[in-house]
Amino acid sequence: MLILLTGGSACGKSAFAETLCMRSPAPRFYLAAMQPYGEEGAMRVERHRALRAGKGFETVERYRDYASLKLPGRGTVLLECICNLTANEMFDEDGTMTDPRERVVEGVRALTAQCERLFVITNDVGSDGMDYDGGTREYVRALGDINARLSAMADTVIEMVAGIPIVLKGEIPE
Amino acid sequence: MILVIGGAGAGKRGFARSLGYAENEMTDRMETDAPVLYGLEEIVRADPEKADALLEPLCRRELVLCCEVGSGVIPNSRGERVFREKTGRLCVLLAQRAEAVVRVVAGIPTAIKGELPCARC
Repeated sequence: MLILLTGGSACGKSAFAETLCMRSPAPRFYLAAMQPYGEEGAMRVERHRALRAGKGFETVERYRDYASLKLPGRGTVLLECICNLTANEMFDEDGTMTDPRERVVEGVRALTAQCERLFVITNDVGSDGMDYDGGTREYVRALGDINARLSAMADTVIEMVAGIPIVLKGEIPE
Repeated sequence: MILVIGGAGAGKRGFARSLGYAENEMTDRMETDAPVLYGLEEIVRADPEKADALLEPLCRRELVLCCEVGSGVIPNSRGERVFREKTGRLCVLLAQRAEAVVRVVAGIPTAIKGELPCARC
């Protein structure tokens, strides 16, 4: 079962996803796609760690290539987040750009097959002005396409607004 | 307190007017006593570190209007990122305390918590 959670920054996606994970079967894996850069990145990781503390997640840091990841057990997975994974699959450190769409979507598909419930967090990055350089514009389009393809695959799609879940597809799992 | 959110220019103040609030009942300053406070995001932007302290006084207003600012590309500037985080988290806290949360899209109000308020008589 695939549950996609979307929304803007700081709208309560992680906290709500973790609540849903706690009602879902163990073992629970937290797949972290964010590469923490600098002090701010470290603080963000720390905030999410504190939110998850005592909730029985095993954390796996994995920045790309989810299609080849083998999970050691079958239970609940929380993947955070598609916006970071997309950037990691898209931009190389030497500046070359690769189309991330297939790799991200196939990665999520492979994870879905390996667990009872997969919660995937993504972000709405397309709702502001498109006054960006070429690479960023490509990123916004790619992420929009990926979100649409994941929505089509998902059993449930939830948009978070100020901490309030709005169900766009399916229903919130019990 | 009722929280009204939506994008810039979505019609949040228009919604407040439709409930019967006059212009002189709306303010964008914390120091001014008025039932409707709008432009909360700009108050947060002016001093993001004080955002948490705004919660209690905001809960004493009748309507609090705030732009949704988190839906876009993560900004390069740290200040802009902090502003988005603080505004978003404050809205989550306000939504928890609010008796209703109204989201305005293209001028159309939708209650996402509680019920749409009736116009004042």
